[in-house]
Amino acid sequence: MTEIVKIKGLQKKFGKFQALSDVTFRVGAGEVVGFIGPNGAGKSTTIRALLGIIKRDAGKAEIFGKDVWKDSLEIHKRISYVPGDVALWGSLTGGEIIDLFMKLHGGGDKQKRDYLIKRFELDPKKKSKGYSKGNRQKVGLIAALSVDSDLYIFDEPTSGLDPLMEAVFQEEVEKIKEAGKSILLSSHILSEVERLADRVVIIRQGEIVESGTLDELRHLTRSAVTLATEKDVSKMETVEGVHDFMQKDNQATFSADNKYINDILMEATKLGVKKFEAVPPTLEDLFMRHYEG
Amino acid sequence: MKEKFARWDILFLQYLKRDWKKIIFWILGIGLFSGGFVPAFEEIAKGQGLIGMFETLQNPAMVSMVGPTPVETAADYTIGAMYAHEMLLFCGLFAMIMAVLHVIGHTRKEEDLGLTELVRSFQIGRQANSLAAMAEVVVINIILALFISALLIVFNVDTISFQGSFLFGASIGMAGVIGAVIGLVMAQIMPASSSATGSALGIVGLLYIARAGTDVSNVDFSMFNPLGWTYLTYPFTDNNWLPIIFALIFSVVMVILAFALEGGRDIGAGYLPEREGRENAKRSLLSVRGLFIKLNRGVTIGWLIGFGVMGAAYGSIYGDMQTFLESNEMMKQMFAQSGVSIEESFTGTIMMVMMVLVSILPIVVVNKLFAEESRQHLSQLYATKVTRGQFYWTTIGLAVIAGLIGTLLAAGGLGGTAISVMEDSAAMDISDFLAAGYNFLPSVLFFTALAALALGWAPKLGKVVYAYLGYSFILNYFDSILDLPEWFLKTAVQSWIPQMPTDSFDAPVFITITVISIVLMIVGYLGYNRRDMIEGA
Ligand SMILES: Nc1ncnc2c1ncn2[C@@H]1O[C@H](COP(=O)(O)OP(=O)(O)OP(=O)(O)O)[C@@H](O)[C@H]1O
Ligand SMILES: [Mg+2]
Repeated sequence: MTEIVKIKGLQKKFGKFQALSDVTFRVGAGEVVGFIGPNGAGKSTTIRALLGIIKRDAGKAEIFGKDVWKDSLEIHKRISYVPGDVALWGSLTGGEIIDLFMKLHGGGDKQKRDYLIKRFELDPKKKSKGYSKGNRQKVGLIAALSVDSDLYIFDEPTSGLDPLMEAVFQEEVEKIKEAGKSILLSSHILSEVERLADRVVIIRQGEIVESGTLDELRHLTRSAVTLATEKDVSKMETVEGVHDFMQKDNQATFSADNKYINDILMEATKLGVKKFEAVPPTLEDLFMRHYEG
Repeated sequence: MKEKFARWDILFLQYLKRDWKKIIFWILGIGLFSGGFVPAFEEIAKGQGLIGMFETLQNPAMVSMVGPTPVETAADYTIGAMYAHEMLLFCGLFAMIMAVLHVIGHTRKEEDLGLTELVRSFQIGRQANSLAAMAEVVVINIILALFISALLIVFNVDTISFQGSFLFGASIGMAGVIGAVIGLVMAQIMPASSSATGSALGIVGLLYIARAGTDVSNVDFSMFNPLGWTYLTYPFTDNNWLPIIFALIFSVVMVILAFALEGGRDIGAGYLPEREGRENAKRSLLSVRGLFIKLNRGVTIGWLIGFGVMGAAYGSIYGDMQTFLESNEMMKQMFAQSGVSIEESFTGTIMMVMMVLVSILPIVVVNKLFAEESRQHLSQLYATKVTRGQFYWTTIGLAVIAGLIGTLLAAGGLGGTAISVMEDSAAMDISDFLAAGYNFLPSVLFFTALAALALGWAPKLGKVVYAYLGYSFILNYFDSILDLPEWFLKTAVQSWIPQMPTDSFDAPVFITITVISIVLMIVGYLGYNRRDMIEGA
């Protein structure tokens, strides 16, 4: 698989503060990568370094095989970016700003623009001073989606959008995904990431702590299990891979390491299973573990 | 009524608490500047100093800068009279500008930033914020007035009387209050804080120029000018309290007007209407240059009009100069001896002053790029094929062009008006005026370059360039009065440039400063090209 984005050992300091200490991940061609992590973890900083807005201190960062700092211009012709807080010039209208952005990016599609303005229900004639947070975000999204790019970088693109508009965004992203484009999506809305992303990268305190497909990551975590047995269920507590064991009569709830799930089942059958329910971890659970841990 | 201002006192105390450092700085800064120069003036007054100074300040160029004195003969010109004559207008102006910035910063600017909405969601009256900000400025200016008075009294100079000292302090404090009410009214009328600040400062500038005209032609008319109410009190000589009373009435009326205007509008809105915008951008907007022109347009046009008006106002004084000479034998002889006409000498001095002001505009334009950067307006544009060089050089280009046009309007406005009011007695033609103006071009470029350097390497220092501009202005302003040592004077860039048409053009200096400026711009670019963009700082 060709690599569109390749980051290795990326570091960035702001004064004495180490914002990124070791960021390594990649985005393959046609792949959607979800980039998640707690506030202040370094998502936006990583993205800014990728865009050449800030200069990295160490490590490698390439897009399309080119250095993100030195060859930023070449790279920028083929990418689109939406920041999490789209700030607009109050004296210009949304329509004017979208046109300007398309022109400066190059390769814009007027019809696509008009189509998106309709879909996102934006009034392009309004001075942007009068836009709400969500409407400002729409301007940034429409601008970025109206131009043709090979890589789309979204930093919390839907912050402030209502659920309906969020759904529109997800549909549009699915379209570009089908068209074989690559996407780096940083977001706090995990359902969005779960729906769109092929792979997830988790960052904490400037370091990548986990990355892989959702299935792979699920495997590393625990499922919530409810078990009822004929014999005394308390024996299960000591089985390897069982945690947070709680018992009520002969019914127990616990969380189980996914990699021991087979062993746990074997032990349980010895006790005579009356009921066995396992709920796989949501991205939310997965996330909590990393955020808190 | 009461409800509108509910709990303003809480905000007021909060402001004092929040601003105390700024307040101390403000009072000490203006206070020491206004009251602390007594020893220097005692020094000047030694020997024939007072008589010499009296004659120098009869020159219309000086009157248009520092204002008039009620003293008619050199013999009556005391240290006190001189102090008030040279210091009062300038310090009053200072206090006024400070108050304008403070009031708009605490009212309209906070509103634009959304802070007012937050405050208002607590149990605080709709107009409590304005009242609190206004009260704060009044208190600050009262303390300032007392501080200045006390300072003057402490120096214990015979002719700096008790009453005069209080009047002097009160005049400056009153100037601050006038500035505050002008700011408060503009904050209601204009659609945003930047235009409120711009228009309020523009009004102060117009008042200053208008009084320059009336001071030279007929000082009685200056009594109709709010800025005139400061120095027309004539402390230590006439001790006239009447202007203070005018100022008080004026301020009360303006405050009532401002509150009425504020009561009738929504948060965040102004009285000048907003038009519906365009659905698609015009072609002219669709480039970095088009965008930057659009972003700078309002402010630039404002300043350019100001320069033209300033030039024209100073130009109108030329008509009275010969009349003035007829009535002043000593001056007449002085000019006859020096071989320089009174018009030429006036042109040289005024041009220097005007060109300092013209230099503000390019700095504004250059600093705008950093403002855009830190407001994150450019974030999405960084990710397009636009280079940093395009951002930087487009900005520098616009700044330089703004400086060139500003010079044209200031010098052309001065020359055009001067020639028309002098009629056939004109000894200079328009090219002399333009040459005198463009002679200062290197200094304009130098300030542009300093701003560019800051933009590239330490963008937060962009504002310091204004401070240096102010510093060089003060130096040149006081040079004609204080006779500063050469090395000290040369720390201001304009001091290197000869004042045409009195002095002759100095090509090496012109070229050297120009080249230095261009080099600084390139160095600035190197920094801009490699530094982190600062977002949200
Ligand atoms: N220009 C800067 N100067 C100093 N510190 C900075 C700067 N930019 C970011 N930081 C710091 O770097 C850290 C990472 O910030 P970043 O914006 O990348 O976080 P994030 O993961 O995007 O968080 P969020 O989810 O809140 O958007 C934070 O602690 C932030 O305060
Ligand atoms: Mg972020």
